[in-house]
Amino acid sequence: MKRTIGTLAIVATLIGVAVVSEVRLGAIPRPDPLGRELLYLPSPEILKILSLGNPGLAADVLYLWSIQYYSFFEPHERFLYLETIFNLITDLDPLYADAYRIGALIMQIQTSGDQEELKKAVARIFDKGIRNLPKNWQLAEAAAWDFFIRFKDRKIATHYAAIAARMPDAPARIKRMVGVWRDEDSAWTVEDSIDYWRRALDDAEDEWDRVMCMGQLYDAIVARDRHTLEPLLREFRSRFGFCPREWDDLIRAGALSQAPVDLFGDPYGIGSENCDLVAYKRIKDQ
Amino acid sequence: MRATRAIAANTFREAIRDRILYLFVGFAVVMVLSSKLFGMLTVGDEGKIVKDIGLASMQFFSMLIAVMMSMILVSREIDNRTVFNILAKPVRRWQFLLGKYLGLAMIIGANLVLITFVLIITVFIVTGELDLMLAFAGIMTMLEMLVLAAFATLFAVLTRPILGSLMTLAVYVVGHLSADLWLLTRQLPGAFTKAVISVVYYLLPNLERFNFRTEVVHDLEIPVAAVGWTVVYAMAFVALVLVLANLRFRTRDLK
Repeated sequence: MKRTIGTLAIVATLIGVAVVSEVRLGAIPRPDPLGRELLYLPSPEILKILSLGNPGLAADVLYLWSIQYYSFFEPHERFLYLETIFNLITDLDPLYADAYRIGALIMQIQTSGDQEELKKAVARIFDKGIRNLPKNWQLAEAAAWDFFIRFKDRKIATHYAAIAARMPDAPARIKRMVGVWRDEDSAWTVEDSIDYWRRALDDAEDEWDRVMCMGQLYDAIVARDRHTLEPLLREFRSRFGFCPREWDDLIRAGALSQAPVDLFGDPYGIGSENCDLVAYKRIKDQ
Repeated sequence: MRATRAIAANTFREAIRDRILYLFVGFAVVMVLSSKLFGMLTVGDEGKIVKDIGLASMQFFSMLIAVMMSMILVSREIDNRTVFNILAKPVRRWQFLLGKYLGLAMIIGANLVLITFVLIITVFIVTGELDLMLAFAGIMTMLEMLVLAAFATLFAVLTRPILGSLMTLAVYVVGHLSADLWLLTRQLPGAFTKAVISVVYYLLPNLERFNFRTEVVHDLEIPVAAVGWTVVYAMAFVALVLVLANLRFRTRDLK
């Protein structure tokens, strides 16, 4: 009995020593603990071999670890080897959509360093994801919004939104988003815009989409007609000293062959104050 | 055939009584269940992590069972001298060996059924989807394990128990790396070296051929022809290795 108690006491003491040592070791500050272990990360080829047919699992382990690891960083710090790690994860499992998305998201948290370089790195990870997941419109849409919101770069945002819109199952709202951004940026001609919105209207999935696309198409057609008709109105005013009250005035003056109508065949009006074209947008009635 | 069936059933019963089997199955089930815990640490698709861990556990613990069982499959019968009682009856040596193999296959099969069931339920709890493709992955793992069990049987009659286990383990590791061996042939200069490596490649089982886990996890299309040829490939290897095992066991002095 005494011997058993003695043995138990020794075991308890040894456990105690181990616990105290661990606590003490944890309390000792170490220089630059982050990043050192990353220097020894093997290549994706080696990890694939080591995983013995489970590269997806190896990718999961690295992904889970990276999420915990990078949560130690502050936004103003440089996130060590971030692109390398997420490249490794996505090399192990190229279909891992979350890894591209979250990798890009973690990259964007950084506020330090060259933001242009950071932007390129985010684009690289999204490009890789879009290459490996050519049907994943969600990823391309996420890239669009990230560049729009985080980097305020509407050109690149529109580029990704256009990629998303081209994907087979992409919802109509992405097509609208591309159209609206391009219209706002004047990134294309009015004719391009009309053509785009006509196709978007054809692809509209429900009544709401249809109304939205029709609204955009209506505006694009008005913009085109305004571009053609307003110079005629101005010319008439300078010739006769007053603004025409109706389109018939222009027809009588030989400037027009018939009264112009809008998308729905309704006649435009003429604003007497500014002598400009007035459109009566009533999409919901159509 | 009755004799083979009886030996297989007996091997299965014996293994069921073995605590080590419970340990492995228990570990596998705990791994599958704990995958939910790992899934909670992720950002995004929790289901993917659960499936990856579950399928890897399924494969790893089935492999461990094959490796451990190869240690006791035949040697226990020889050490306990029960093999003489069996062979004294109208039981041919190949029937004994086939019975042992089928018993081992049943053990692995029962283990896989259990783990697959637990995995499907876990995935259902996590994602709300009843992913029956996991059962397909389980069947493919079973094919892989049938090949490995054949090698375990071969090594059980060929060499000492511990060495047999190590050799089975080696087949598992090499089987998963043999695809890289094939890639090596493209890198090497000289037709002779290429030919030698090609022969080695075809003689070793390419266990990666049974790996449909990526397709199952990412819900990708699986070509029917690939499944068909995988079944043929597995059966051919099993038959070949069991014939080799029988050739050795037929002439082996059991005293």
